[in-house]
Amino acid sequence: MTNESNRADGASLLIRIIQHGTLLAVLLGLWEYAARSGWVDATFVGQPSGIAQFLWSNVVVSPKLWIELGWTLLGTLASFVLGSVAALLTGLLFVTMPRLERFVDPYLSAINAMPRIALAPLFILWFGLGVSSKIAIGFSLVFFIVLSSTVAGMRGLNQDHLTLTRTLGAKPSQMFLFVTLPGAVPVIFSGLRLGLIYAMLGVVGGEIIAAEHGLGQTLAYLGSTFNMNGVMGVLLILSLLGMGVIWSMTAIEKRLLHWQ
Amino acid sequence: MAAIHSISHFPSAHAPTASPADVNLPAPNIAIEINKLELAFGERKVIDGVSLDIPEGQFLSIVGPSGCGKTTILNLLAGLIDAPHLGTLRLGGAAPRLGDARIAYMLARDSLLPWRTALQNASYGMQIRGVPPKTREARARDLLRRVGLAGFEDIYPKHLSHGMRQRCALARTFALDAPFLLMDEPFGALDAQTKLQLEELLVDLWQQERRTVVFITHDLAEAIAISDRVVVMSARPGRIVADLKIDLPRPRSVRDLQKQPHFHELYARIWQTLEQGWRHSDDQ
Repeated sequence: MTNESNRADGASLLIRIIQHGTLLAVLLGLWEYAARSGWVDATFVGQPSGIAQFLWSNVVVSPKLWIELGWTLLGTLASFVLGSVAALLTGLLFVTMPRLERFVDPYLSAINAMPRIALAPLFILWFGLGVSSKIAIGFSLVFFIVLSSTVAGMRGLNQDHLTLTRTLGAKPSQMFLFVTLPGAVPVIFSGLRLGLIYAMLGVVGGEIIAAEHGLGQTLAYLGSTFNMNGVMGVLLILSLLGMGVIWSMTAIEKRLLHWQ
Repeated sequence: MAAIHSISHFPSAHAPTASPADVNLPAPNIAIEINKLELAFGERKVIDGVSLDIPEGQFLSIVGPSGCGKTTILNLLAGLIDAPHLGTLRLGGAAPRLGDARIAYMLARDSLLPWRTALQNASYGMQIRGVPPKTREARARDLLRRVGLAGFEDIYPKHLSHGMRQRCALARTFALDAPFLLMDEPFGALDAQTKLQLEELLVDLWQQERRTVVFITHDLAEAIAISDRVVVMSARPGRIVADLKIDLPRPRSVRDLQKQPHFHELYARIWQTLEQGWRHSDDQ
């Protein structure tokens, strides 16, 4: 029975691979044909063979794109970690001191309402062309997203859990470790997932505006030199990177929240 | 207070029988003492002069319509609410204090932590109260076995039925080395069949390890079946309208009681007395 259903799963997977492979092959073939025969201008949309050639020479032959990817990843992870930790601590402070939260709320709302990428010129001036300014932009996005989910998660705790734990005479540290933190994790996690995606957005956006390194900088350079095959290649890498980020967050979440 | 049938104390191994007149004497065996309790939330009087002495090891139920203040009394005893009130409450001679290690409190809902397995939930109370890991695991395993959850130690609450979850909560409550059990309608949300099983289980556990129990319920039949003594309260403002000794023999089985005419007669008699009492208090 299990063997049979496994075989059925395997077969349907194979069928799906063939279906998607066929679709992609047809689309890419059409694109290539259209570019070669002059239906579309390859200067503006590139062509699959050119994209493959670009990726081959910059990913396999020379490690250029790997190095740029490294800079982007560094900026993304650093801004994500710093922003999340700061937001978790601030969220905890807000939950323990609601009056403080009410006091600073208008200021936070004002900053949060600002399109953060508009701060990029300021951050680049303050922190330079290097990765620090990208981390600052990413941080400014991650912080608010994770902060609001942290506060929501800690406010939305099950009242019965709190009552029970209080009757048991829990110390504040026990309350935090045994109830507040694990109870808030599911909501915090949805904020972290979004925060990671926005960290990447902030970093790549900052790199496009002004930078020495990174996939965003590469993208801006290739675009300004009309290397459309290069632009398409970098976009492909960025979307794969984004998918990888989401996939790894899901894997961590599944592990951490296996009780759900 | 219209006490229609006052019974205060019972003969027990440690204590002489006391009559209602003696209740003000400092008897060493009084575990929980409530004296002339009055409480109002704003203009609304919730509890109007409740006095109750609960001897050590007694299983006492408080029955009453919703809003009669029975849960408020329990929460005052647990130190969960600190509303200004008249009169005094004493547990083992001391004022109620939230987190008192002598108290085990059980809520209407199971309040199991979903990120902990049944075993981890059963040992949760002990963990908070600083019982060493080996001791608490052994105790939690023993309790889970006694509530019929052997083999479910590593299961998360999500995969347990309502009845099983409340069994696990019972294990967590009894795992605590606390002489006072305060229970707030713990079986109120269960279906009739499961409720009966859980009542049976509670009585069983209690008969093995006697503690002073205050059990809040709105179900008179449940109160009679499991308790030594049933205190009936009136609608708001809450007053004690009856204080009844339940002389069904111990050890008893809640499920067997359902088949005994004696139990149903007792229930009918108490119900009749109550109706008279309510009529009486309406006249006042």
